Amino acid sequence: GKDERVKVQGRGCLLKEIHLNVTDLGLGYRTKEELIFRYCSGPCHDAETNYDKILNNLTHNKKLDKDTPSRTCCRPIAFDDDLSFLDDNLEYHTLKKHSARKCACV
Amino acid sequence: TSGSLGLYFPQSEYSESVYVGQPAGTPILQIHSMLETETEQAHYYLCWRNKQQRSYIPWFHLDETTGTLYLNKTLEWSDFGSLYRGAAQALRKLSLKAMAVPWPFREATCMRQPTVEISITFINATVPPCGQIALEKLCFPDRDSNPHIQENRLPGPLRQLRRLSRVSLCPDYNISYGVEAESPVPFVVNDTTSELMVKASVDREEKEVYRLEIVCRVQTEDKFHELFVPLHVNIYDEDDNPPYVNGTDTQEVVVEFIRNEGAIFGNLSVYDRDTTPIFPKDQSQNKFVGNLMTNDSWIKESFTIQHTFREEKAIFGNIRGTVHEYKLILSKNMSVTENRTFQLDYLVNDTTFPGPDGTVMLHFNVTILPVPIRFSNSTYVYTVNRRSTAYAQTGKICVDNCLKFQGIDIGYQLAIVEKNVSASVQSCYAAVGVARSLTNMSGVLFVNDTDPLRRPECTELQYLVIAQEQQKQLQAKTQLIIVFEGELDKGDVEEKHFLSCAERRQRKECEVFRGLGTPSGKCQWRQGTEKGISRNYSTCSPDLRTCPDGVCDVIESKDMSICPQDCTSEPIIGGHERGLMLGIKAGYGTCYCFSEKCYCEKDDAEEAICDDMCKTIIATAV
Repeated sequence: GKDERVKVQGRGCLLKEIHLNVTDLGLGYRTKEELIFRYCSGPCHDAETNYDKILNNLTHNKKLDKDTPSRTCCRPIAFDDDLSFLDDNLEYHTLKKHSARKCACV
Repeated sequence: TSGSLGLYFPQSEYSESVYVGQPAGTPILQIHSMLETETEQAHYYLCWRNKQQRSYIPWFHLDETTGTLYLNKTLEWSDFGSLYRGAAQALRKLSLKAMAVPWPFREATCMRQPTVEISITFINATVPPCGQIALEKLCFPDRDSNPHIQENRLPGPLRQLRRLSRVSLCPDYNISYGVEAESPVPFVVNDTTSELMVKASVDREEKEVYRLEIVCRVQTEDKFHELFVPLHVNIYDEDDNPPYVNGTDTQEVVVEFIRNEGAIFGNLSVYDRDTTPIFPKDQSQNKFVGNLMTNDSWIKESFTIQHTFREEKAIFGNIRGTVHEYKLILSKNMSVTENRTFQLDYLVNDTTFPGPDGTVMLHFNVTILPVPIRFSNSTYVYTVNRRSTAYAQTGKICVDNCLKFQGIDIGYQLAIVEKNVSASVQSCYAAVGVARSLTNMSGVLFVNDTDPLRRPECTELQYLVIAQEQQKQLQAKTQLIIVFEGELDKGDVEEKHFLSCAERRQRKECEVFRGLGTPSGKCQWRQGTEKGISRNYSTCSPDLRTCPDGVCDVIESKDMSICPQDCTSEPIIGGHERGLMLGIKAGYGTCYCFSEKCYCEKDDAEEAICDDMCKTIIATAV
């Protein structure tokens, strides 16, 4: 049915997760707290349309000069809940839209 | 003092345990209530409230005159079973209530009388033999609560030290009690009755807690034992001290530049060695009531007295007492023309103090000075760089003392001095505008229109500054001269719409950029030096004197592109700390913004630059 077709599109684009320290995020926060970071990764070939094929051909044949338009890519379409943590100076911080909940080829 | 309190129980709960097989007539415990007057005689009664209690209350008998609770019947195994309780346990708790009244009483209803809880634990076993009872258990109750006595009351028996229900178990032992303390205490043990007695009335303002040791001396067949337990007797307070002032009862108050409703002037303290309970709310002990001693309706409308109190210990010789504070509060904005002097008296009354000296009179000597609205600065001269862009801040104007004003509202306007000039000259005056600062009563001058800056006929502008006080419409005027200076670049001529400095992410591109709000025509770069999230983050600003300074000022709030670092209300991306209301308080690396959306991030290139260039800059700066 309809659901089946949605699943097939962008089959390689998946939600993956990694256990990190908050300091690993590189946002400058000093804290010992940790988090599960989820991200989207994988190929999006099977979600491509004629538009993508044409773009691919034009770039390949150098018809678009230096312009390289964006292609379909695997991105979050929904984000995890906010993450709050206490830093080393005992101040609270809240990260919003920092981790993926759902992925798709867009 | 008037005898309003009557009898009181120095203990809130009594408890003891009883066993199966203990015979009728066994004393269990003794309750005491303290007397108010010599002529009183306490009468004790058991009372009941529910059906459940009615089943076991007849097992007990409370002696009306001594307060001793006896078993009325020999306790049987079946008695234990008869007590309804869900689970099968080895213990049942029987709760009794007793009251004390100073006259014989017929119906024991426990209504409106001082009562005390008696908790009896019924153990489903027979009494252990004397040899199996530890001496502590023979001497002292299983659990104990500290008693309290009211200050200034009659001496008398306070508590029975002997564990009555255990006495008959070891008839061969000789048990006596004594009281010990580090310093002399008004407590003794009555050797005949084994009661702890209060020897004399006590004063809480002298000592709040008596720390005693109760010693139990047991002479067994072969040995003499001494056992000790601590006992703290708390002294309860009553209002027996008048209020007083320490030093002055008069305060000079000058109302001048601060004239807003709610402004606080003066502070007079009244002391009272008594404590003031704050709970329950309707408690009236040591309650202070104040009265403004004036019939002048204008004073009554304009001023109120704020009363607060707190508990202090150190100033009362380490005994808790109360400090009351009285402050004069303006209850409406005071007009700038008001000019008066008067003495305001305030009578403080300690309503529960029984003596005649329960009042203190406080005096506020109030002087209200008028505030003249004027400029002592006869001419303001400000220069404006021809290359400056719209919303560049060019200067400040201020009526005398305007920075000190509170509750005085000043509006500023600019007017053209010479009206008979050509239309093209007249349009020059659109160059500068004025806005009232959001935080004080000064006016901020800013570039309103950049067109006149490029026109040769506009070189020096003469304005009349009109400051108007809003309540009484008082006006003050002064002259403002704006001088244009500097040369225009060819490229500047046609610009009309400026972009935000905050969009620039690097020093090089920032310092050549003509952004909105720049007094020199070029954005300014601030280089952060700290690692991590810092208030001194790197950023590009139109004017480092005003942006970012953590305040979204009146000019910046006119256009979000001027200083989004101070004014953004949108979520900030990257490592940051938000400002209290608006803006970025601290950021990581460089903060930059596109319209209202701000980002803070470490630029990888930044650190590479700092390896060679920035190190030499820092080195030369040091």
